[in-house]
Parts: sequence; C-alpha cells; structure tokens
Amino acid sequence: MSHAQSESAREWRHAGASTASMYGNFFFWLFREPFPTRQLGQQIVRVMLEGFGILAVSGVVEGAMFAWLAGWYGMKFSVINWAGAATLYLLLSAATTLFGAMMFAAKIGTAFTVEIGSMQMSGQLDALRLMAVEPTQYIVIPRVLASILCFPILKAISDACAIGSSIVLARLWFDISAPIFLQHALLVLRSTILTTSYIRCSLHGFFISINACGLGFYFQGGAIELGKTTTKSIVINLICVLVIDTVYGVMDSVFGWSTV
Amino acid sequence: MIRAHGVRFAFPGRTVLEDISIDIEESLTTVIVGRSGIGKSVFLKCIVGLLRPQAGSITIDGQEVVGATRQDTLAIRKRIGMLFQEGALFDSMSVYENVAFPLAYHRSASAHEIDKRVNAYLDLVGLREYARAMPQELSGGMKRKVAVARAMILEPHYLLYDEPTAGLDPSSSAVVESMIRRLQRERAITQLVVTHDIDLTRYIADRIALLEDGRISARAGREEAFAEPSAIYDHFIENRERIRAENGSQG
Repeated sequence: MSHAQSESAREWRHAGASTASMYGNFFFWLFREPFPTRQLGQQIVRVMLEGFGILAVSGVVEGAMFAWLAGWYGMKFSVINWAGAATLYLLLSAATTLFGAMMFAAKIGTAFTVEIGSMQMSGQLDALRLMAVEPTQYIVIPRVLASILCFPILKAISDACAIGSSIVLARLWFDISAPIFLQHALLVLRSTILTTSYIRCSLHGFFISINACGLGFYFQGGAIELGKTTTKSIVINLICVLVIDTVYGVMDSVFGWSTV
Repeated sequence: MIRAHGVRFAFPGRTVLEDISIDIEESLTTVIVGRSGIGKSVFLKCIVGLLRPQAGSITIDGQEVVGATRQDTLAIRKRIGMLFQEGALFDSMSVYENVAFPLAYHRSASAHEIDKRVNAYLDLVGLREYARAMPQELSGGMKRKVAVARAMILEPHYLLYDEPTAGLDPSSSAVVESMIRRLQRERAITQLVVTHDIDLTRYIADRIALLEDGRISARAGREEAFAEPSAIYDHFIENRERIRAENGSQG
C-alpha cells in the first residue's frame, strides 16, 4: 500500500472513530446537569433559519419534477387522473425525506463540522474545558437536539412547497386542474406514510448532526485537514442517509406501512 | 505551588516531554523558554489536565493532577486561568459576553454582580469601551487582553500563558508584556509563561527555565539568566545572536 493510501486509510479510520466516540459521548452527557436550554433555543432558531431556504427550494424542485414525470407517464398510459395521487405518494413517502436529508447534510451538517472543527483548531473547546464547561454538553447536545426537532418541521415546509409546485406544474404543463390532480390523493395517503416519514426525518437529523459534530469535535490539523474533514462529513452523512432509507425500505416492505 | 516531577508525555510515535521536573513558585512569574515545537504548550496542557502524561506527577497546591477524577480536575481548574495562543475567544460572543461567560454559565453570581465584575476586569485590561465589539473587530493584542480578562474573572490563583506575544507586532507585544507585569505586581498572582520571545522573558520573568530535549536543562533568576555567561544565555540567547551574526555575514 502506498504512503498516500495508508494516510487516507488512517484518516478514514480516525473519522470513523470520531463519529463512533461522539455517539457514546452524546448519551453520556445528555442526562447530566446543567441542561443547555438557552443554547438549544439558539440552535433551533439557527437550524430553522439556515435550513429553511434550501429545504423550501428543494421541495419546489422535487414537486415540479415528480409532477412532470407522473403527468407524462399518466398521459402515456391514459391514467392522467392518477397523476396527482402518484406524485403526492412519491413525494410524501420518500422523495422529500430523502432529498431533504441530503440537503440537510450538505447545509447544516457541514456547517456543524466546520464550526466545531475551527473551534477545536483555535483552542475554543479547550478554553471551555478550562472554564469547567463540558464542550459536548454546551456545543454538541444543543445542535443534535435542534436537528432532531427541526428537520421534521423543515420537511413539512418542504412538503408544502413540493405539493404547491406540483399542482402549479400540473396546471400549466398538462392542463390538469387542482381538484382533478388531488382527487385520488386521499385514497393513497395513509397516516402511517406521514408518521414514518417524519420519524425518519428525526432519525436523519440525529445521525447527520452527531456525525458532523463528531468529525469537528475530534478534528486535528490545520486548514487543509479541515477541508478534508468537511468533505468526509458530507460523504459519511450521505451514505448514512442512504443506509437509513434502505433499512426503512426493507422494514416497510415487511410491515407494509406504506402499502396502498 | 505547582510542582511537576518526572513528567513524560508522548504522542503516538513521538516523545515530546522526556522528564520534566520544575517548581513554580508562589506570587512570581516563571517563564519557560525553548524553541518552537519543543513541547512548551504540551507541558501547560498537562498542568491543566487537558493532556495526560504517561509518567510523572503534577501537583497543584498538593493536589495531584495526573489521573485525577473529573470532579477533582474541575476543582483544580477553578484555581487556574489560562491564556491560549491567539486568545481562543468565542467568535459568536461579544467582548462583554466572552468575559462574562464563565460566571454566567455556572450561575455563580447575580446579573448585577456579573456586570460589576466584567466591567472591572475590562477596566483592568483597558478595554471597557470595546465591551460590545465582536472578537473579529479586535487586533491581536486586544484579543489577548480580553482573553486575560476572561481568565481572570473567576479570580484564579494561577495564571498560565501560552505564547502570549506570538504573532503580535512590537507595540501590541509591549501592551501584553506590561499587562502581565502589572498583574504580577498589583495582584501577586502566580504566573507561568511559556514563550520563545526573549524580549518578553527579559521584561516579565522572575524565574526562567530552559526547556530542551524534553527536559528542563537550566534554571535561573532573571539577572542570573541574562548575565553572561550562564547556561540559559549560552543555550538560548547566544544561539540566537550567533545565527543572526551568521545570517548577517552571509547577507
């Protein structure tokens, strides 16, 4: 194995160990006093503000894209009345969660990694420790809890944008009126589809934020290494999102939560 | 008193501190000098329990730091303030919030008391009018002064400085030097400074120790250290003069 390969393998091992350590650290400090209520509030506001734009835009794009696909195939196979139902089913059961989680990892996850990594680099985490403040409690726990709470709300916003854009596109492109577009929607949208997708959002928020915070928290090196660590953050989180959705897909096929 | 005996610390594959033994005397400013990368900052981090030595003992007022429980470490840290390289101020907080942070987080004082103390320490470092400024609006010297105010707010018995003048221009360095001197003179705080800045050492040190090859290789008072010949002069100062002379002659 060349030096570059062994160096890369060492870096990935460190990244894996960092994220694994953070899971233990998170639960160790979660139930200890003092609970960082103020920081949690600040992070909720921050995650909502930073995540709103990207999740809304991705919702609009997904809605338009799925409506166009459903409308096109609906015309082709003469089932245009079902285009709206198919669009909403795909959007709410899978698309806005999956693509939303990817956007969340890209926007919020990387922000956490860079922010905490630069705090580590400049000695701010050590400064906290010296003031008898545990950085996991003060820095990590508020970010993780804010992600768990905010991502489902951001997904709801993304859903609303996606539904709106799909209705508009269906009207403008295929001349399908909103009542026709929505007429079979209630037949396919079961409450379990919504509940499982929102639970999945919380799970995504948890894993994305823990991975991102862990990589920043145990970061070592300078600006170049911080860049590499941020890349690792997005790669690990995208893989994590896909794994969670795959596991969910398997469980869904076993338990039939989304069965129409 | 801070007392280190036989301290050994190694990163994987590299021994940094071989065998450090030193006593930091009360109410004096002790300066540890040595080349960059020799392990001065590592030693400071060992003292405050941020790094754990593989061997040896460090006691602060008789209490062992190495292997201390989390509770004991927290108790020890409450007696120590530390100025990190470049200050390590919290970017998202104003100068006032940075200084108030240790008191506010631990809710160890009322809002009125916090306000009084923060203003007093900002006066002490001469930055009261910058209370609402953000760290990125300050010069390097100002950041160090804010960091000192933050380190002082819990009224520690010991104050540790990690390269307090590194990267500062001469006038900012002079401001930091004066502040360290004044704190020692007015408050009789026990201070430990690690630096490779000879001018700073000459100005603030009561005691000087030379860190070389992972050991304290020489110790002396200020006059003795800067008198020619002395171990510290020979190993450190003369070395600098020699390199300057060589470069000068090549130029």
